[in-house]
Amino acid sequence: MASVDSGIRDEAAAFEPAPQVAPAAVAGRTHFRRFTAFQRWVHFFIMVSFSTLVLTGMPLKYSDQAWAQRWMGVLGGVQIAGMIHRFAAMIMVSCVICMLGFFTLILIKSKGRFWGPGTMVPNRQDYQDLRAMVGWFVGKRSHPHLELDRYAYYEKGEFWAASAGVTIMCLTGAILWYPEVAGRYLPGIVINFALVNHSGGALLAMGFVVVFWHFFHAHLRPEAFPMDKAMYAGGLPLEEYAHERPLEYERRIREGTLDEVLVAPVSEARMKVQNVIWWIITGLALFLWVVFSLFVVWVASFWLASF
Amino acid sequence: MIPRAFLTTSLGIALLAVVVLAAPAGAVQFSLAHGANGRCLECHSKPDLGTIVANGERKSLTVDETTWHDSVHSRLDCTACHAGFQAREHTAEEQAGWYQQARLTACSDCHADQFAMYSGSFHGNLVMGKNDKRAPACADCHGSHGIISPGSPEFRASVLTMCGRCHDEKSATYLDTYHGKSFRMGETSTAVCTDCHGHHKILPASDPDSTVSKQHVVATCGTCHDQATSNFASFLIHNDRSTPKSSLWVWLMEINHSVLIGVLFVLGGLHCFLYFYRGLREGLYHRG
Repeated sequence: MASVDSGIRDEAAAFEPAPQVAPAAVAGRTHFRRFTAFQRWVHFFIMVSFSTLVLTGMPLKYSDQAWAQRWMGVLGGVQIAGMIHRFAAMIMVSCVICMLGFFTLILIKSKGRFWGPGTMVPNRQDYQDLRAMVGWFVGKRSHPHLELDRYAYYEKGEFWAASAGVTIMCLTGAILWYPEVAGRYLPGIVINFALVNHSGGALLAMGFVVVFWHFFHAHLRPEAFPMDKAMYAGGLPLEEYAHERPLEYERRIREGTLDEVLVAPVSEARMKVQNVIWWIITGLALFLWVVFSLFVVWVASFWLASF
Repeated sequence: MIPRAFLTTSLGIALLAVVVLAAPAGAVQFSLAHGANGRCLECHSKPDLGTIVANGERKSLTVDETTWHDSVHSRLDCTACHAGFQAREHTAEEQAGWYQQARLTACSDCHADQFAMYSGSFHGNLVMGKNDKRAPACADCHGSHGIISPGSPEFRASVLTMCGRCHDEKSATYLDTYHGKSFRMGETSTAVCTDCHGHHKILPASDPDSTVSKQHVVATCGTCHDQATSNFASFLIHNDRSTPKSSLWVWLMEINHSVLIGVLFVLGGLHCFLYFYRGLREGLYHRG
């Protein structure tokens, strides 16, 4: 296993043991397919529905605030906002169902893949990576170039946090959508629980998962800055990927499965069109991120003031 | 000798004349009445008209004409409610006497049904049985000169404030529910205080006749939520999340969320900030 601590990142040094380029890569397929089209579409719909859910739900949580009342007026009132919120919720639930189906397929097709290397299940390596990073944060060691497999510890952590969050939000949201049905089978206090958890869970999801965690670690950390295009373009240059996620690269070479994930880069002409869309989406996402960040700062100031 | 026919004819004409003349006479009386209102407004439209009442406070006696004209009672005479007042400067006895009894009877002459319901209510009992000065009579909720239809959005929008004058704790917890939140967002079709608690005959939940008693609460919820069950109705509407006194479990859940949000925001924020800060310091953002 490669050392976690290879000093301050140095492009030349990191490439010294030149990655073995598979024959297929030479034949024009120079990119590593990080995410399949299915995964990218699911991500897109989650991104859109999540933003919609936040924008239509948060004013209700902070209904005593003037900005919330103004924004609700812009949306056209509680009833319209509620309809949009439920529509977006259905999109998100569809995404969750798709992902559950996807995981089931993986479990059936390739036994053990769900918790082997390259999966979302945390392992000892993640713990070591986290320790190395915290050591660097507090100045006790130099910058570690993490020897990552398919997913880093911060991606796994986010995945499980988001999974727990979406489960809670779906269950409590369903109770709040159909409180009479819930009342047929469950005591009324469950509706109170649902209110508290839907409201608190929303803030957690928006603040912790999106503002603090996802945006930063996907796009703003030094290695990915200014934007990681993998989720948008699907493929990354093979050398880049091999440098960032050496464990998966080496594993695939060893297993002889690298060929499965090699793709040709998109053509120049298509890239031009895609770049326009990319900048629009990125611009919107960045704008929302700034709004959400300011919002979280505002909430945090409340939280601090309560002591 | 006057012919009988002449007598009957002239009597008929006279009777007809009375009827024909009486009709405009009635109209005259009507317009005179409005003239009488006009006479009242000669003084009562002055913005500085007022008097000092028993507790030493100044009470304005100005009637806003536009408010009055927009109210449901704009076609009534002033004296329909302010019975017994003469068109001259009113004596102190006249005024005090009227306020004492007219607080209720000014309305009950026309609205006998509502008054009967009110008399049996918790509020009515406080006012009439216990002489409680703080408990509301008709005008405390409906107003006086600017009375609007209780079904109108404007009236519904004002319900929370009027109940909240005494029941402020209840209105705070109400505002923490979906009803209250959408009410605050300007949705007047959502349930307000009176939709659940009733209006003229409000009774405490412990009274079996109350709309929110164990016996009736499911039916009350059912007026909007047609599939309401007793479980559904046991939802804690007036629940204060910030104290364990309302519901221990809801409070614990709330605390759990606050701690979770606090810890995760701090840890997540630190992880991002230090990653960013160290990366910036070590030039990791400057690439080739």
